[in-house]
Amino acid sequence: MSDKVFSFKNIHVVVEGKEVVKGVSLEIGQGEKHAIMGPNGSGKSSLVNALAGHPSYAITEGEAYISGKNLIEMDATERAKAGLFLAFQYPLAIPGVTVANFLRAAIKAKHGGDETVLKDFRKELTDKFSFLEVDKTFATRYINDGFSGGEKKKIEILQMAMLKPLVALLDETDSGLDIDALRIVSNGINEYAPSDGGLLLVTHYQRMLNYVKPDYVHVMMHGQLVRSGGPELALQLEEQGYEKIEDEVFNSVEV
Amino acid sequence: MNLTAIENKVASFRTIDKLEPEWLYNLRKESWEFYNDAPLPERVTNVWRYTKPENFLVANAEEIMNTAPLIPDGSNGHPYPKNSEYSAVGYNREDMMTMVKIDPAVAGQGVIIKNLFQAARENEDLVRQYFGTMVAPNFGKFEALNMALWNNGFFIFVPDNTVIEKPIALNRHPGDNFSHIRLLAVIGRNSQVTLVDNYSCSGRAESGVDNSAVEIFGGDSARVKYVNLQRLGPQCIGYITQRARIGRSGNIYSIYGATGGAVSKMNAGTILAGRHAESRMSGVIFGDKNQHFDYHTLHHHQDNESYSNIDFKVILKDKAMSAYTGLIRIEKDTINNEAYQENRNLLLNKGTKAESIPELEILTDQVRCTHGATMGPIDPQMLFYLKARGIGHEEAVKMIAAGFVEPTIMQMPNELREMMRGIVTDKLAGEQK
Ligand SMILES: Nc1ncnc2c1ncn2[C@@H]1O[C@H](COP(=O)(O)OP(=O)(O)OP(=O)(O)O)[C@@H](O)[C@H]1O
Ligand SMILES: [Mg+2]
Repeated sequence: MSDKVFSFKNIHVVVEGKEVVKGVSLEIGQGEKHAIMGPNGSGKSSLVNALAGHPSYAITEGEAYISGKNLIEMDATERAKAGLFLAFQYPLAIPGVTVANFLRAAIKAKHGGDETVLKDFRKELTDKFSFLEVDKTFATRYINDGFSGGEKKKIEILQMAMLKPLVALLDETDSGLDIDALRIVSNGINEYAPSDGGLLLVTHYQRMLNYVKPDYVHVMMHGQLVRSGGPELALQLEEQGYEKIEDEVFNSVEV
Repeated sequence: MNLTAIENKVASFRTIDKLEPEWLYNLRKESWEFYNDAPLPERVTNVWRYTKPENFLVANAEEIMNTAPLIPDGSNGHPYPKNSEYSAVGYNREDMMTMVKIDPAVAGQGVIIKNLFQAARENEDLVRQYFGTMVAPNFGKFEALNMALWNNGFFIFVPDNTVIEKPIALNRHPGDNFSHIRLLAVIGRNSQVTLVDNYSCSGRAESGVDNSAVEIFGGDSARVKYVNLQRLGPQCIGYITQRARIGRSGNIYSIYGATGGAVSKMNAGTILAGRHAESRMSGVIFGDKNQHFDYHTLHHHQDNESYSNIDFKVILKDKAMSAYTGLIRIEKDTINNEAYQENRNLLLNKGTKAESIPELEILTDQVRCTHGATMGPIDPQMLFYLKARGIGHEEAVKMIAAGFVEPTIMQMPNELREMMRGIVTDKLAGEQK
């Protein structure tokens, strides 16, 4: 166990009987921003879903701690209550549950059912809607039901803003955003991401990292973190693609 | 009909009561005979495939038959509570009393709400014209039984061009004492009314079959909302046959909510008898434990350019079972009718069982008609989405289940939404009111 705000060690994830994450470790210190980049199918979503407690993504080996608390023993609800937040790559529609009611229930649950925490809810929601340039009518719409790709991503960040997690895992929050939305959502992340906690961005592109500047960049391939470095690593990837690293890491035996 | 055979087994119908109109007596008598002649329904049609008809037999039918219908000493004249959210409230009570409290302003518009038996004498011509013409003695064995034995019920009459803003609430509390009830509603041309027909009984009610027949006649351009809530006690058996007929440019919105009873069978139908008629139906059924629901709907398009739509939702948990069968019948030589039907079932655990059978009898080509059905458990992805935000498992299930019916409830008239939500949340909490 480390004294970091979020850490995991040697995580293995099995989905549908297949191991898709093969021993991944990372430590995120207070206030740090990390980015994970990697080609399609390399296991990025599997990793963050498993960490958040998705029942289809079983952690078969490894440890994970959020501010010293053992994550592995908790179910998804408890992990969220411990301060973990996952912004989904593909947010799901929940028919019949409005954004406002959903957030109220989540905030209340986080505070052990205490209603008083909701006294400034409406104002806070309105403020955050306007910061993220989301029409306030979304409060009474059913979560993600008929939302455009970009709207879904904004609502994920809105949820983060309202729930104030300690550690946020953002899975491709930048995908599906137009240029303006990318700026707005990035500003939202900078504004509302846990400042004294940790942030882990999963992304394919440098463009978001121009706004949300990571302290560390990691490269994931075939279920493993194969490279770690500073922000320059993202620029290097943008230029060279994954092939070069792939060759270096996975074909080194033959070389 | 083999009279001798019947006379051997079956008690002959009682003599006429001194307050009973002869035509009504004869109708009852004829119904009693029909009931005794009719075999139990064969379980070959979809209407009877899922529920044993024996459930609805009444052990003391003969005893009830021999009891002259109870005549209450004036069901009207009860003080109407100020600021009531209803324009009138009627009670069919366990003690066989019928009570009506009506807003004097509404009564002043010529609206009649009273005990059906009393109406059969006092408003004889009007009642006789409509009564038993849709849910007739020959409708079926149990409808005939109802007609022979009914001992409580309401008559509602709304004159032409009359708008009643607040709903009329009918509270039916069948106890062990009475079990055969009726409603006859005659809504005039271009009039508007909402009827909330609410069946509930105290937990004390041990058992018994609550057999109800409902007939609603909507004149041309009438706008009717009919809400049928079945919240009977856990031991009760419910059998409801309801028919509405709407005329030219008439509009009816029927809402069926059911959470009660051990066995609950409903046959609900609207006959679109005029051009441009429009009928919507929404259903919300929520069963748990060993509850059994068998709901049948009918949309019968008899004229041109009419529209019908059904949105029927079912939630089941524990070992509950639901069968939904929906018949759309479009008459031949009609044109440009539209009929839509959707039935969705949410099964909260294994061990529940849902059936969904659409039946289409479309006798014309010029028609638009679609139907669809789904059934399945809560999507684990949805559950995870809520849990990943810190919401507990139980709470997440409740939110998703309530959300499942919410779009249906949102389509309902404003004044009924809170009531419907309350029914669902009570049931989700394992309570029933
Ligand atoms: N629910 C699932 N069922 C079956 N296989 C899955 C499931 N989720 C992920 N996988 C498989 O696991 C591997 C890793 O997928 P994952 O979604 O984690 O990749 P990713 O790095 O997030 O890719 P992308 O950049 O395209 O989002 C893939 O081979 C994928 O097909
Ligand atoms: Mg992914």
